Amino acid sequence: MNRINPLYVGLLLALGIVFLAFQLGGAKSDLKEAKEEYAKTSKIATNLSGLKSTYADRKKLKASLRRILALSGVRQANITKDEKKSGVKLSSKSMDKKALNTLMGKLLNSSYNITSMKIKRLSEDRVSFKMEIKW
Amino acid sequence: MSTIWTVKGGQILFTNFKSKHQTIFLDPNFEGSLDLKPKEKVNVILSPSLYWVQKVSLPVKYVRDVKKLLPSLFEDILPEGNYSYSAYKSDDEFYIFAYEDKVILEALTSQGVSTTSIVKVYFAQSELGDISQSKTISPDESLYLKDGLLTMVPSAWTDSSEALDLKDIKLSKHSITLQQFGHIVDNKSLYKIAAIMLVISLLILSEYVITSKKVADISKAKEELFAKHKLKSTMFQNEAMFKKYNFIHKKQMNLRQVTAVVLGLRLNSGEKLSILEVKNGRLNVVFSGVSKGKEKHIKKALKLKGVTFKDSFKSDSWHLEVTL
Repeated sequence: MNRINPLYVGLLLALGIVFLAFQLGGAKSDLKEAKEEYAKTSKIATNLSGLKSTYADRKKLKASLRRILALSGVRQANITKDEKKSGVKLSSKSMDKKALNTLMGKLLNSSYNITSMKIKRLSEDRVSFKMEIKW
Repeated sequence: MSTIWTVKGGQILFTNFKSKHQTIFLDPNFEGSLDLKPKEKVNVILSPSLYWVQKVSLPVKYVRDVKKLLPSLFEDILPEGNYSYSAYKSDDEFYIFAYEDKVILEALTSQGVSTTSIVKVYFAQSELGDISQSKTISPDESLYLKDGLLTMVPSAWTDSSEALDLKDIKLSKHSITLQQFGHIVDNKSLYKIAAIMLVISLLILSEYVITSKKVADISKAKEELFAKHKLKSTMFQNEAMFKKYNFIHKKQMNLRQVTAVVLGLRLNSGEKLSILEVKNGRLNVVFSGVSKGKEKHIKKALKLKGVTFKDSFKSDSWHLEVTL
């Protein structure tokens, strides 16, 4: 004969619904947060990956620099290459205008992190050249 | 006034020793008092005054089929009220009952019998329907069997009558359960409301499960992203690295843009670009052969290309400084 008041049962069910709704609200909030976090991470990951491959891929940068310095127009300029772990220093006490044009065209159109550079006119068609690239 | 009839030692009420619970006879017209111990458990036999009964023959086999028909079988007989129904089969006939839970509960309450102390509730019809002669319930009322149906009649109508003795009564299986809250919400509405709430709960629960799975999937995808791009373990580190490389990228883009502008300048006859230098985040340019006042066309060209600069004259050369 011990029957539970249906109002209590109703109240319990209503409380259950409120509890579940609260949990669902929390889960929805987590989902929104997770989506935003994922979008942010994805954006940073893509950009960072692209930037690292552009400016920090030593192997790739060294290979491309070797190809540039081996070009026939540049090779004649006797460019000195001082390679270190953090980067490379290029220099030529005197090189002709044509070689400079070829070299600068290639270097500036590639993605090297040029930290310092100095080009000084020596005569009508000769210049001195210094450049430091870091990776 | 509602009352419970009990008789002790040769009078009416008694204990069912087999079940070890006392059995009481509940009659709404009893005017005595009940002597029950606190929290004592009792079985209750309802007086015919507390229910409506019919003996019917129906073309159905099972009680469960009869139960569906009960409201319509009593439809034209019962006064207005909130009724519960019950039935049992005896030989080929069905005994069908209608009763008001609220009335019975009030009768119990008026005698101080708590619903928690009740073991089971029976109809007098099912428990005393085989009496051979009328039974006295009180000086005024007696139980009387006519055409197989037990009724209450004035004691004066019966010629020979003996007191009701419940001492050795064997109770049947035909007990009922009182709906204590039936008057608040009827069962159908209650089930409907409960079903709706249950459906809502299930919907919310399934939505919760789906949402949680989505969160887990995103978390997994994020881990895969870290592995694919070989990211550092914390976003703080990755953000710092991104800032560093983004800064380098902006500087380098700026350097190439400004250098292209400087190298593309149209110089007048005698004007020459002597030095082009990048140092400490600045681009320094030295022009020779540019006298004071003659640099205006270069300044104009630089401004047109959106290059901001500082300039100065030293002897016969013009110095230009651009922050990258």
